[in-house]
Amino acid sequence: MRSLVRAPGFQAAIALTAAVFLSAFFLVPVLRVFRASVYDAAGTSLTLFNYPHVLSNRFFLDALANSLVIAAAAFVFTIVIGVPFAFCIARFPMPGKPLLLALAALPLVLPSFVSAYALVLMFGRAGLVTRELHAAGIPFGSIYGTPGIVVTYVLTLYPYVVLPTVAAFKSVDVSVEEVAQNLGASPMRTFVTVTLPIVLPSILAGALLVFIEAIENFGVPFVLAEDKPILAVETFKLFAGETAINPAAAGVLGMLLVACTAVALLIQRNILGRRYYATSARRAPPLLPVGPGLRLLASGYCWIVTAAALVPFVAVVIISFLQFNGPVLHYQFSLDNFAQLLGRSYRPLANTLMLAAAGAVLATLIGVPIGYLLVRRRSRLTALLDIAATAPFAVAGTVLGIGLVLTYNSGPVILTGTWIIMVIAYAVRKLPFSVRSSAGILHQIDGNLEEASINLGVPPFVTFLRITVPLIVAGIVGGLVLSFVTIASELSSTIVLYSGPWTTMTVAMFQALEGTSAGEAAAAATILIVFTVLPVALVYRLLRRYELSTL
Amino acid sequence: MTSISIENAVRTFGSVRAVDDVSIAIRDAEFFTLLGPSGCGKTTLLRMVAGFCDLESGRILFDAERIDTLPPHRRKTGMVFQNYAIFPHLRVGDNVAYGLRARNVPSAERAERIARALKLIQLQGYEDRWPHQLSGGQLQRVAIARAVVIEPSVLLLDEPLSNLDAKLRVEMRGEIRRLQKTLGITVIYVTHDQDEALSMSDRIAVMRAGRVEQLGEPAAIYGAPESPFVAKFVGATNLFEGVVTGRVGDQIDVAIAGGALRVHDARAQAGDRVEISVRPEAIRLLVAGEAAPAGWITLSGTLSGVEYLGAVTRLYVRMFEGAPPLQVAVASAPAGGGEISMAYDPARAVVWTKDR
Repeated sequence: MRSLVRAPGFQAAIALTAAVFLSAFFLVPVLRVFRASVYDAAGTSLTLFNYPHVLSNRFFLDALANSLVIAAAAFVFTIVIGVPFAFCIARFPMPGKPLLLALAALPLVLPSFVSAYALVLMFGRAGLVTRELHAAGIPFGSIYGTPGIVVTYVLTLYPYVVLPTVAAFKSVDVSVEEVAQNLGASPMRTFVTVTLPIVLPSILAGALLVFIEAIENFGVPFVLAEDKPILAVETFKLFAGETAINPAAAGVLGMLLVACTAVALLIQRNILGRRYYATSARRAPPLLPVGPGLRLLASGYCWIVTAAALVPFVAVVIISFLQFNGPVLHYQFSLDNFAQLLGRSYRPLANTLMLAAAGAVLATLIGVPIGYLLVRRRSRLTALLDIAATAPFAVAGTVLGIGLVLTYNSGPVILTGTWIIMVIAYAVRKLPFSVRSSAGILHQIDGNLEEASINLGVPPFVTFLRITVPLIVAGIVGGLVLSFVTIASELSSTIVLYSGPWTTMTVAMFQALEGTSAGEAAAAATILIVFTVLPVALVYRLLRRYELSTL
Repeated sequence: MTSISIENAVRTFGSVRAVDDVSIAIRDAEFFTLLGPSGCGKTTLLRMVAGFCDLESGRILFDAERIDTLPPHRRKTGMVFQNYAIFPHLRVGDNVAYGLRARNVPSAERAERIARALKLIQLQGYEDRWPHQLSGGQLQRVAIARAVVIEPSVLLLDEPLSNLDAKLRVEMRGEIRRLQKTLGITVIYVTHDQDEALSMSDRIAVMRAGRVEQLGEPAAIYGAPESPFVAKFVGATNLFEGVVTGRVGDQIDVAIAGGALRVHDARAQAGDRVEISVRPEAIRLLVAGEAAPAGWITLSGTLSGVEYLGAVTRLYVRMFEGAPPLQVAVASAPAGGGEISMAYDPARAVVWTKDR
């Protein structure tokens, strides 16, 4: 709607809101972390000594190296697993595809640290499977450290590769493949020389999201790393741990985190920006005429991968209904775990629902108008807005949390310890998703529809309400729900920002983990799973798959 | 009811002058076509009239009222978009009713006007259909009904037929023209299709690079193109470049690459550089021994290609070494081929003198 976005007041209001919100709650906090990194431990005098000091420390250097190695491994293995998966879904005849795709996307909204915890419950030192294996005399190594973390990342993040790659395989114009074969290329050669190059940007873009998530994730290494230093965890410990608090070193590690994720995000945006040739399919390629053997193989592969990713969650749910005696598990149905967890207080559950709802609504209220502006009005200002609204994705939740605490624990506005600061952190973290998904929805709505309405005599703002809103409302609601469920299982900024009365379900689970009440942790995880799967299942029809891939 | 004056309209996009100082006066109840290749500025100009594109300078008037300063929703134009822009979440009836509701037309009158509009486009009874149940041609009609039902001062059509198949396109041409006559409405029609422009329009403005190259009635645009660009863009033609070598009465002799032509021209002098257009249908094939009509000039060449087009056949004749083959339109291809002789009417050639 040119007239509305052209109206100076409308554009200015959106830009101003976004600018104020992002400066106050994103830019300034990140700069505060940076500031902490260039002041001495006492926080009084400027120094550049922190960086060489931290980087010459073997332990911190290991943390950086471990994080990068793990993220790189996740990057590679999600591609190895995800691309064949996507190809099978896009090109093979296979029963139950919609269900398969829905289940395959599910790990994106489920809390990944629950999967990590399930791994511990089953294969950990005192894990169910470990004990059985030992009892049978079969040796079994440790899943702690790099292997367990990589496995968890691959199982929970592979949909980031699958979803965009399926879309890309489907959007290859069939005629370019036909022309390759017409020119004498075999099907295999066609795939390698034509199809793969066309879908490669989508694969890489998805895998870079995996890389970013793997770098910034806090919960999974917290559960599985044990003694292995991991960047996101060490940053948190240096800032808010029980011992050896060192804001300067935390600042340096935080900046390293931001540097890693920012570089990955820049590369990702660059790749996406050049994906101009994969978007307009005249005719989608047909399913390959494969024999029953190959079909069975493809089907089996997809279902096994999907199941492997979901088994940990199912296991946690089952375990949560079993009887625990301290850390020891009995195979007996019981609701004790839930009784203990909720008996103490319903607050964490109520907090999670309330804070996640508030965060999701705030992100949507700020994000949708920005998305609208980006699609309908291209200018230098909106290009800047685009960058600013995407930037929070490049900043780990831990770093944002630390920055918010540093900024708002003193001075004119004190927010530390309140629920407001948590809602703000959630809104900032979900803003990129909200902007992207609403822009994606609006992209599909022909701008001519709005012009046709205005041309028929309906003023711009009324046109927005009568034409635009009805067409986008389903997608917006879907996006809102996705924001809600992912905030509900958010941990990396929550763990920094929560205070006693505002304990969330994720925090309750972590407290139970750190103690010895494995049963309560499992119960908390089950509750989180229920409050994730249920809303998503309810609005699944409103969601389009690529929205999941831009979480 | 409404005449339109576009006065010195200018619009630049980046460094491109999309509309470069265009002035056009469109008469009341005229079917006026903006014709040109893509990127010539015709759609930008149309969107200026609708209000979706600002003028950097210049102005637009409907009758005596200046409208380029009005917001688009108050301009009383009915626009038909290239992709129809039918609201997908509203039924056909509600799509057509949309503009009437915006004008608070009472519901009884509204229903009656919708029915009348749908009848006009031969979709009576389609009120309750959903857009996705309609074919491209039907959506096109709904878009037209939606635009005309509000009784706009001006109807704006932006390449409305380009998404239809060839047969339907020809049908719709006639229908749109009939509708315009019935309603007596002023129409601005944008197209890149010369056949559409020639068959439908009262007058045509041929545009090129943001400027009006020629403005006139279809017969003048085709028969007396004012520039080689217009001759080439509207219909097939044979273009020659050459230098005038002499004058014989009201005719000139022109040396062209590999040969010479004689054509009618009143102005050119010896030594002038000229361009000449000879339409394929201005050339006639001579059967063996047949004399050329009085005043016509004979040519000969070698048949190098035959293109069967149904109603006519187009021949390609190589006349001069190195020059592109001459296009000739004939009723049927000559038997045999090889050397053929032709004649053309020097009065039907068009000559432009290049800047000296």
